[in-house]
Amino acid sequence: MAKKISTYALLACVCLIFGYIESLVPLTAAIPGIKLGLSNSVALLLLTKRDIKGALAVNITRILLSALLFGSPFSLVFSLSGALGSMAAMLLFLKVKSVSVVGLSALGGTVHNIFQLLAAFFVLGSAVKYYLPFLILAGGISGALTGIISELILKKVKTNGKF
Amino acid sequence: MLKKGDYIIFLSIAFLGVALLFFNFFGKQTGKTVIITEKGETVYEGSLSDDKTVTLSGNTVVIENGCAYIESANCKNQVCVNTGEISEKGETIVCTPNRVVVEVE
Ligand SMILES: [Zn+2]
Repeated sequence: MAKKISTYALLACVCLIFGYIESLVPLTAAIPGIKLGLSNSVALLLLTKRDIKGALAVNITRILLSALLFGSPFSLVFSLSGALGSMAAMLLFLKVKSVSVVGLSALGGTVHNIFQLLAAFFVLGSAVKYYLPFLILAGGISGALTGIISELILKKVKTNGKF
Repeated sequence: MLKKGDYIIFLSIAFLGVALLFFNFFGKQTGKTVIITEKGETVYEGSLSDDKTVTLSGNTVVIENGCAYIESANCKNQVCVNTGEISEKGETIVCTPNRVVVEVE
């Protein structure tokens, strides 16, 4: 149990560092809400290990801490909505045999951005719908990229023993 | 490495994204009105052809030559400033940290 908690804490810290680095190097200067989302790899790795509670715990810890450290109450709402939507979608397709980690991650990325925009819809108003197509495409691309990274990590983790 | 389901997911995302993108740009037309909201409330509504500078608590919105843009902002990410000029119907600039939305209608 203690080992598990420290593993989760470590993973949440890794996510925080990813998030901080991503905030320093924005992918696009002009469209809000686009990022690589490397933290998604961590949630994805835990989900593929069928550790749903762990994925939820790490994700929520990461979001709360990052909002406290670098964000605002509204960035908290956006991230939370995105992460929960994305995890639910990935969970739904986790057992589908013909979908690999890369497809799962692309789906998660797109759904993350859709849910984030949905939260923005309520906070900022309906005008934000203009960004929907950009966010759907960007979510798919960045999700596929983090999926490839996750697959590489999974291979390493497999050969080096337990997570 | 990739499986059949992956391609279905990629294609669905691409189709949805491109279809909506098409919808965004289809029948694009020059807008007439600028609506500025800050923290959920409309603070300015006026014609795109009226040159004006609207000063909000953290952002300065400039309307000139039929375009609207955010000239300066005190937000950290500066996404709103980098968005540049908007003039077409439906185009939007948002400043998420300051909860500012500039929309052309
Ligand atoms: Zn801004």
